[in-house]
Amino acid sequence: MAYLTLKERMTIPTYNDPKTCRAGRVVIEHEKCNGCGNCALVCPGACLYVAGVGRDRKAYMVDKAVPDCMSCNACAAICKRGAIRAEQGYDFGGFYKALHRAEMVPPRNF
Amino acid sequence: MVETLTEKKHGKEAAFGEMYVWREGMDWNPVERVILERRSVRKYRDEQVPEKLVRRILEAGRFAPSAGNAQPWRFVVVRDRDMLDEMEKYVRWRCQILKFMLDWESSPLGRLSWVLSQIYIRLMPNKLHPIPFGAIRLIADGKLKLFHGAPTVIFILEDVRGVSKPQVDIGICGQNMVLAAHSLGLGTCWVGFVELLKFGSKWKKKLGATWPYRFIEAIALGYPVGEPDGMVARELHEIDWWEGGRKRSVF
Ligand SMILES: Cc1cc2nc3c(=O)[nH]c(=O)nc-3n(C[C@H](O)[C@H](O)[C@H](O)COP(=O)(O)O)c2cc1C
Ligand code: SF4
Ligand code: SF4
Repeated sequence: MAYLTLKERMTIPTYNDPKTCRAGRVVIEHEKCNGCGNCALVCPGACLYVAGVGRDRKAYMVDKAVPDCMSCNACAAICKRGAIRAEQGYDFGGFYKALHRAEMVPPRNF
Repeated sequence: MVETLTEKKHGKEAAFGEMYVWREGMDWNPVERVILERRSVRKYRDEQVPEKLVRRILEAGRFAPSAGNAQPWRFVVVRDRDMLDEMEKYVRWRCQILKFMLDWESSPLGRLSWVLSQIYIRLMPNKLHPIPFGAIRLIADGKLKLFHGAPTVIFILEDVRGVSKPQVDIGICGQNMVLAAHSLGLGTCWVGFVELLKFGSKWKKKLGATWPYRFIEAIALGYPVGEPDGMVARELHEIDWWEGGRKRSVF
């Protein structure tokens, strides 16, 4: 059973400290990415950018200890090439610890 | 009538588009499809939405369920580019003030901003949750837009005298309009940060957000750039399921 300890409940995590906070993070398959930049255009966390020229133009995630990624997968939805996706939800720990969550999966048609 | 997997295998599954039936494993019906493919749209074409189309979307809001049928909302439609730009500038300025006070990484207040942030986060744990905290910084820096260039914005003001929990009604009403809009080929994005307009008496007067009304949410509306809608992966949630006198977990 997932629960918060009293100590966790009392702890506000330090938002920019990767030791306590796990932001969303995307996986980018550079073999599939053509550097179109659509993902960077729509990312609400401004945490994607494209760099490189010609065939080497690819999407990257900004180099921040705790990026502003909320695992919303807006990038995955707009990417025509299936080159990018968030595979793990965020968890800021302490007072904000994620409870009762498991892996990220697409809609299932039971 | 519930049909079985065997029938599905024999090619009897519902054709796409079939409504008001369920067969195990059948394809999504149009309603489910709109619900599952809707994504928040944050880049719009510079093309106004026809007035009649917006009126049609507002109808979906008007027929939303609400506690005690109180309908505790008031819609304000804004389609003036200048006005939207001005509101965007105002909210950005408010975010810059918040960033100056609370963002200990960049604030010239130094240690004081750390202390202030820790106090304010405890006082407002929802509004200063790490995600909106980050968004305040991004809006302040011009890296996250408020309306994303949408040509039409529907403000949903809350009538604070509503029955029971009026903000729940606002959410339901808004999502009715959002789903209708996507089903009609538009894109939408909820905009919670319009709440910061409450600090501007000019905006409260102009948009009628004075007692008994107040700013809660707005919905940006327009034709998307590219194809932002689509199904994506989301976290499974552990669900408690009580049946036959026992509890089990399902995901
Ligand atoms: C009440 C509410 C307020 C929101 N406010 C904003 C906002 O101010 N800015 C923004 O870019 N997105 C906003 N969003 C959109 C969420 O970020 C988005 O719904 C979430 O990341 C899930 O992604 P999806 O809508 O594509 O499924 C808001 C959503 C809701 C429900
Ligand atoms: S949208 Fe896809 S193809 Fe385009 S830059 Fe992003 S990851 Fe690469
Ligand atoms: S999951 Fe959302 S926030 Fe994270 S990189 Fe993709 S678009 Fe940006």
